[in-house]
Amino acid sequence: MLKVSSVTKYYGNFLAVDNLSFEVKPGEIFGLLGVNGAGKTTTFRMIMGLLDLSEGSITLDGKNIDYSVTDQIGFLTEERSLLTKLTVKEQCLFYGTLKGMKESDILKKLDSLLKEFEISEYKERKIKELSKGNQQKIQFITAIINDPKLLILDEPFTGLDPINVEQFKNKIKELASKGSMIIFSSHRMEHVELFCKKLVVLVKGKAVLNGNLKEIKENYRKKDIMLKADITKEELEKTKGVVEVVEMADEFDVKIESQEMVQNVFEKVSKCKNVTKFVVEEPSLNDIFVAKVGEAYEK
Amino acid sequence: MRSKLDYLTGISLKRKIKTKWFLFANIALAIVMIALFNIDSIITYFGGDFNEKQKVYIVDNTNESFDLFDEQLKVTSEALYGEDNSSYEVEKIDKTEEEAKKLLNEDDESKNIVIIFNPSLNNVIEFDMISKEYMDLVDTQLLTAALNNTKIALALSKTTIDQKELNKIYSTAVINRTYLDEEKNSADENMDMIMSTVFPIIILPFFMLTIFLVQMIGAEVNDEKTTRSMEIIIANVPPKTHFFAKVIAGNLFVIIQGILLFSYAGIGLLISHLIGNSSITGGITSQMQGVVDTVLSSNFGNTLYLVLPLTLVLMLLTFLGYSLLAGILASMTTNIEDFQQMQAPIIVISLIGYYLSMMAGLFEGATFIKVLSFVPLISAILSPSLLVLGQIGIVEISISILLVVLFDYLLIKYGLKIYKVGILNYSSKDLWKKVFKAIKN
Repeated sequence: MLKVSSVTKYYGNFLAVDNLSFEVKPGEIFGLLGVNGAGKTTTFRMIMGLLDLSEGSITLDGKNIDYSVTDQIGFLTEERSLLTKLTVKEQCLFYGTLKGMKESDILKKLDSLLKEFEISEYKERKIKELSKGNQQKIQFITAIINDPKLLILDEPFTGLDPINVEQFKNKIKELASKGSMIIFSSHRMEHVELFCKKLVVLVKGKAVLNGNLKEIKENYRKKDIMLKADITKEELEKTKGVVEVVEMADEFDVKIESQEMVQNVFEKVSKCKNVTKFVVEEPSLNDIFVAKVGEAYEK
Repeated sequence: MRSKLDYLTGISLKRKIKTKWFLFANIALAIVMIALFNIDSIITYFGGDFNEKQKVYIVDNTNESFDLFDEQLKVTSEALYGEDNSSYEVEKIDKTEEEAKKLLNEDDESKNIVIIFNPSLNNVIEFDMISKEYMDLVDTQLLTAALNNTKIALALSKTTIDQKELNKIYSTAVINRTYLDEEKNSADENMDMIMSTVFPIIILPFFMLTIFLVQMIGAEVNDEKTTRSMEIIIANVPPKTHFFAKVIAGNLFVIIQGILLFSYAGIGLLISHLIGNSSITGGITSQMQGVVDTVLSSNFGNTLYLVLPLTLVLMLLTFLGYSLLAGILASMTTNIEDFQQMQAPIIVISLIGYYLSMMAGLFEGATFIKVLSFVPLISAILSPSLLVLGQIGIVEISISILLVVLFDYLLIKYGLKIYKVGILNYSSKDLWKKVFKAIKN
């Protein structure tokens, strides 16, 4: 299990990460979210042992993360961390050997992964000759070539088309099902929503949301009601508990303060003619993220 | 399984050596060096002939000066080119000035000249020198000296001095050297003169290799930094291992490149020796042989068994110093352009050492140069140079070695701290503040 306990990081006087705590168990995919500069990469670098902590501790299976355990970790950085003058094979041999793997094992695993990602023909090609998407595939392969116990993925879908995103998603799920702990960062909330059961949202280094996604959604009081009826936007806005009404093509998206306010809206709509739709929906992670980040900045 | 240090060193070296550019550069270097050692054969092949002697046609209107001039030109020419190596063929012709000019014009060889000796009441003898083109400086000086001597000889012959006395006057001056310092001898003095010109040439590869070394380490570290692969590498190996891998690989590279450079020079000399049938080729090999003979016959030759290993040790330790410094500076920069600017002072330091080693012979005994010969980075070039010139001894070069060892130790001790912070730093903001903070920690 990866355990991040009360971790704080200062760069001089600048507080980059503030008292952050979370746990990732084997088989879990954990989301680390935040806008640019929120402290995600700093957190990843601290987990990787690249940065010293100002306070707190990070352990993997009860041991501090040092060079005796980094062979069990896979790391995909946000930027392309590939030596573009090397061939795909040389690059994978390089990173694989640094992770303590034998050359024969690396080559065996590489052939299998290249086949899985349908890029076997690029094995002897230089990285710089590959497209952005294929370079990202190679970077992903180098991160998982050692079947890591802990896999850190910083924006893994950058530069990928929808088909390749699906390939990546399937592989990430497969690794989790085999027991890998995966920490995942993305600006695409739909990806996070799909994968992560647990997450942290960082704003200016501080966790503004932390926990189980289902519980976060349930605890998030604001709800959406999608409705179709003969009613005007103004009438809906006057209803008690309605925060915002978004008029769409042939329906309304009514955002309400809390679950308790559903009854008020229902009573108002039930008096109207032609009510064909009244659905109370959970807020999307994107809504929660935008709202929480916005709140934090307002404070 | 190989250690990660071995692996990183091997990879680093392989990335430098197993490239088509390394092969290309070395083929070019080999061709240039072999060609330089055989330049006369190449020139001769394309139409030059260094064996052909320059003809000097003499119209002697005094009817008494030709033999004197012939003798004087032989003496002055042999003083420069050695015995039996005169590059002139003197021929007396019985022609008028116009006929002589016509002869010169019809001559295929443009360097040939005509000198007309005319009697003179005021100057004993006067000369008209006619050539097709400009004459080179050496020819002008040699001929002028010979003509002056001819004039003096002619004037003396018209006095009452007998032939025996005249022969004594014409003979080469005998100079007996005395050294108040009993440890000095003429062989050492000759060697000083030879080595002050030869040594800067011998030391040139060291200067070249220093530049190769600094650039190699800087380029590699920056390549890994700019591609962010440094994060993956440092996540798996400690910065210390990475630093030493770069330093060891850099030093191995310059040693390999150095051996290759000397091999190319050796091949060039061997080819020159095998086909050495022209004067300049013979000249180079005989001059090399002359240098070796002079070194061996001097007192310095007796200390070579100490001087050579000490110089080699000093050079290797200095390479280590340069590579440590290059690694530290490279870790502080964020791209290769910044590194190129930062490496300029290192190259200037090396250049200062090189120029001082060339000037050491001119400023013999200068305290300033002696003090600088102890300064690490400069000492590898300057100390051996002063040692060869006899200006410092084994003790001084040993002190230089100790100072370089201390310098390298300090670079490792404090440089590693900077390196650890620098390699994962991508911002030039507050760079020096970060550097000093790293040193303090």
